[in-house]
Amino acid sequence: MTRATPAVVATGLVKEFEKGRYTLWQRLRREPDRRTRFRAVDGIDLRVETGEIFGLLGPNGAGKTTTMKMLSTLLEPTSGSIEVLGIDVARHPREVRARLGAMLSGERSLYWKLTGRENLEYFAALYHVPAKETRARIDTALAAVQLSDRGDDYVERYSTGMRQRLALARALLPDPPLVILDEPTVGLDPQSARDLRDRVRDLRAQGRTVLLTTHYMEEADQLCDRVAIIDHGKIAALDSPAALKRTIRAEEVVRLDIGLAGDGAELLERLGRVGTVARHERTNGTLAVTVHCRSARELVPAAFDAAQASGATVRHVEVVPVTLEDVFLSLTGRALRE
Amino acid sequence: MTTLAADLRAFAATVRKELRTVRRYPTQWLGLIFWPVLLPASYVLMGQAFSGSDARSIAAFAERSGTVEVAGFVFVGFAMYMWLSTILWGPGTALRTEQMRGSLEAVFLTPTSRLVALFGPPAAALPTLVITFVVMGVAMWLLFGVALPLDGVLRSLVVIAFALPALYAIGTLFAAGVLRFGEIGPIVQLVRGLFVLACGITFPVLMLPGWAQAVAWVLPPTYIVQDIRAVLLRGLGLGDIAGDIAITMGLTVAFAVLAVVTFRVLERGARRSGMLGRY
Amino acid sequence: MEEIRAALAIARKDMRNLSRYKWSMLATVFIPLYQGVIPAFLFGAAFAVGGRVIGLESAIGTDNLSGFIFMGGVIAGLVATTFWSIAMSLRWEMDLGTLEPTWLTPTRHDTILIGRAIFGVGQFVVSQVILFAVGIAFFGLRFSLDIVYAVPAVAVAVVAMLGFAYLLAGIVLLIREANFFIDSTNFLFGIASGVSFPITFLPLAFQPLALLLPTTYAMDLLRQHALGARPLFDPALEYVGLIVTTLVVLPFGRWAFARAERSMRVRGTLGQY
Repeated sequence: MTRATPAVVATGLVKEFEKGRYTLWQRLRREPDRRTRFRAVDGIDLRVETGEIFGLLGPNGAGKTTTMKMLSTLLEPTSGSIEVLGIDVARHPREVRARLGAMLSGERSLYWKLTGRENLEYFAALYHVPAKETRARIDTALAAVQLSDRGDDYVERYSTGMRQRLALARALLPDPPLVILDEPTVGLDPQSARDLRDRVRDLRAQGRTVLLTTHYMEEADQLCDRVAIIDHGKIAALDSPAALKRTIRAEEVVRLDIGLAGDGAELLERLGRVGTVARHERTNGTLAVTVHCRSARELVPAAFDAAQASGATVRHVEVVPVTLEDVFLSLTGRALRE
Repeated sequence: MTTLAADLRAFAATVRKELRTVRRYPTQWLGLIFWPVLLPASYVLMGQAFSGSDARSIAAFAERSGTVEVAGFVFVGFAMYMWLSTILWGPGTALRTEQMRGSLEAVFLTPTSRLVALFGPPAAALPTLVITFVVMGVAMWLLFGVALPLDGVLRSLVVIAFALPALYAIGTLFAAGVLRFGEIGPIVQLVRGLFVLACGITFPVLMLPGWAQAVAWVLPPTYIVQDIRAVLLRGLGLGDIAGDIAITMGLTVAFAVLAVVTFRVLERGARRSGMLGRY
Repeated sequence: MEEIRAALAIARKDMRNLSRYKWSMLATVFIPLYQGVIPAFLFGAAFAVGGRVIGLESAIGTDNLSGFIFMGGVIAGLVATTFWSIAMSLRWEMDLGTLEPTWLTPTRHDTILIGRAIFGVGQFVVSQVILFAVGIAFFGLRFSLDIVYAVPAVAVAVVAMLGFAYLLAGIVLLIREANFFIDSTNFLFGIASGVSFPITFLPLAFQPLALLLPTTYAMDLLRQHALGARPLFDPALEYVGLIVTTLVVLPFGRWAFARAERSMRVRGTLGQY
C-alpha cells in the first residue's frame, strides 16, 4: 500500500536575520559592519501528514511565523529544504502557492472599502480560479465561514472576528489541499475564537491538511492532532497533545502560594521529595510553586506538612490537570505567556 | 497650580510632543531644503521661458505685479505656500490624525482645556518656518542673484510677526473643520490649492477674474504676501502698509473666533454622538 | 490567460476602491488643475504683451500658452501616474497589510504591477480628457488635429514609464521613507522632461540628464504635432531617442524589481509596516 505524500516536509530549516543597520553612508565611510545575525529558526525538521491538523506551539518570538512564511514562499530560508505537497518550494514557488491557502496577517490583509464578496472576487482571480467557477467558490467559501449573509457589506463594517473569517474564506478559494493559518484566533473574543476553531475542524473533515501556529496552549490541545513545541527557533518536542502531556510523568499539577519569611530552599527540597517542582517564584514574601505529581491527594497534605515544618503558611492551593503549558514549562523552564 | 498654569504646561507638552514626532522623520529635514529651493526655482525658470527675458514682457509683468523682480516675486509667494503647507499638513491634520489613531479620546479624558489640543500643534511649526525662510532667502541670492536689502528684511519680519496669528488662526480653523472628513490628504490638497489660486501666491492677484479677486481680499495670506513683496521688493515702508496690517488683524480675529466656534460645535456634537472616538 | 484575468482583476479592484473614496477621486482631476495648470497659466499670462506671450514664442516658436501648459500636463500626468498610482501604491498596500496576501497567490508579481498600470493609465486617460475639456471651455485651449500623430510617441512613453514603475516600485518597497523619495523624484522627473518649461532653460549641467528620459522626447513630439512648436531635434532622431531609452529602461526596471523582491524575501520585510 502506498503511503500518501506528506503535506509538508521541511529538513534542516534555518533562517538568519541581520539586526541593526548598515547604511549607504556608513559603507561610503568604510565603517565596520556592526550588524549582528540572529537565528529566528535554528534547524527545524518537520513532517506534516496529509489530513491532520498540525500545530506549532510556542511563545511570541519563537520562530513560528518565520517558519510559516518560509513554507508559504514569502521568506527565503538561509539553508534547508522544504517540500509542500511534494513540490520543492525553492524551485517551484508558484506551483506551491497555487495549491496552498494561507492566512498570515488576518484582518489587516483585507480591503476595507470593498465588500466581503468583492474582496474574494479579486483574490479568486489572483488564485487563478477559473472564471466559471468563481461565483460558486465564493459562495462556498463564505458559507464555510458563515458569512453568506454579510458578503455584500463593506469590510470596514465587519467585526474583528468576521474579518478573520473572511481572511480564512480567502484562503479557501483555491480549494487547497493544505491550509496554513498563523495565529488564527489572536485578538478574538472567546466566542469568535471558538467559532473559528469549529471552522478549522470542518476543514479537516473535508479532507484538508491544516498547519497552524498558536501561542494558546488550549487551542493546540483542543484542535491539533499533533503539536510541535517550538522555542528559540528549535523544535523542543513533537507528538500528539496526549503523548506530550504524558511526558510530564504526572497526572495532576498543584499550584501553591506559600507565605514564608526565608528563601524557601528547605521547603522546596521537601516538596521535591513528593513531586517534581516545575517552577517556583518568590515575590514579596510569597513563594508561588508549581508541582507535578501523580496524585494531588498525596501531595497537598505533604505540602502542608512541609510548610508547617518550615514555619511557612499555605495561602492558596489549586489543582489542575496537566496541560501543554506544563509540557512547555518542563522543557524550557519558562511559561508560554512570559 | 492654577488651571491656566496647568493648561500652559499642557500646551508646552503638546508642542514638545509634536516636535519629537517631526524629529523621527529625517526626510522631513531633507524636504526643508528641497522644496523651498526647487519649487520656486522651477517657477523662476518658467518665468524666464514665458518672458524670454524680453524687456516688454518684464514690463507687462511689473504692471500687473508691482515689481520687475520676477525671482523675488516668486520666492516670496512660495514662502507663503510653504508656510500654508506646514500649517495645513502638520497642525492642520494633528487633531484628525489623533482621532484616527484613537488617541484623541485619551487626550480629551484629561482635565486640560480642549483648546490646548487645538492650539498646541501650530506652535510646533514655528522652528520649521524659520528654517524655511532662511533657506529660501539664501537660495534666491545664490541661484538668481537677488540680494534682499537689510531694511526690507527687517520690515518683512514685522509683517511676519503680524501674520503669525493669522496663519495660526487658519491652521486651527482647518484642524477643527477637518474632524468630520474621512480622507485628510485630498482635503489638504484642495484647501492649499484654493489658497494658492486665491491669494496671489504664484501670480498677481490682478490676473484673477473680478469675483475671485473679491474672495482673495478676505483672506489674510493675500495681504501678507502683497505686503512682504511691497517692503522687500518695492522698498515701501511700514506706514505705507499700515492699512493692510489692520485688515489682516481684523481677519485674524474673525478666523480665530470661527475656529473656536467650529471646534466647540463639533465637540458638543461629539459628546452626544460619540464621534470623537470614531470616524 | 490567467495572468491577464488577474491583471484585469487588479485594475477592477483599484477602480472600485478609488470610487469609494470620493475626495480622492475628485482630486485626481482637480489637483493637476488648481495646483498645476491654473497657476502656471495665470503666471504666464502675466507676461503677455498685447495678448501674446512673446517670450514663449521666441523660445519654442508659438505663443500658444494654454496649449503649452496643457500638453505639459499630459506628460506630467503620465509621470505622476507612474510614480504614485503604480509604484507608490504598492508601498501603500504593503503598509496597509494587503500586499502580503497578494504575494501568496500564484499570480506573477510582475502582473500585479501591470494590473495597477492598466488602472493607472485608464485613470490618466480619463482625467486628461476632462482636463482638456476644461481647457477648451475656460482657458482657450486650442491645438492642431495633427495631435493624433503624437499618439504613438505617447504610447511608447507609456511603455517606457512602465519600466520606470518597476524600478521605482522596487525602490519604494525597500526604503523606509518612500514618500519623500517619490514626491521629490516625481517633481524632478517632470521638470527634466520639460513639462513646465523647455529643457533649454535648464542649467546646462542638467540638460544631458533630460535627454536620458523618454518623456523628454515624447513631450517635444507632442508639442510639435499639437502646437506646431519648434522641435528640439530632428523628429526622426527624437523617435530614435524615445525608442532606445524605452528599450533600455523596461528590462532594467523589471530586473531591479525582481532584485528588490528577492531582497524582501531574504530580509523578510514584506509583512512589515
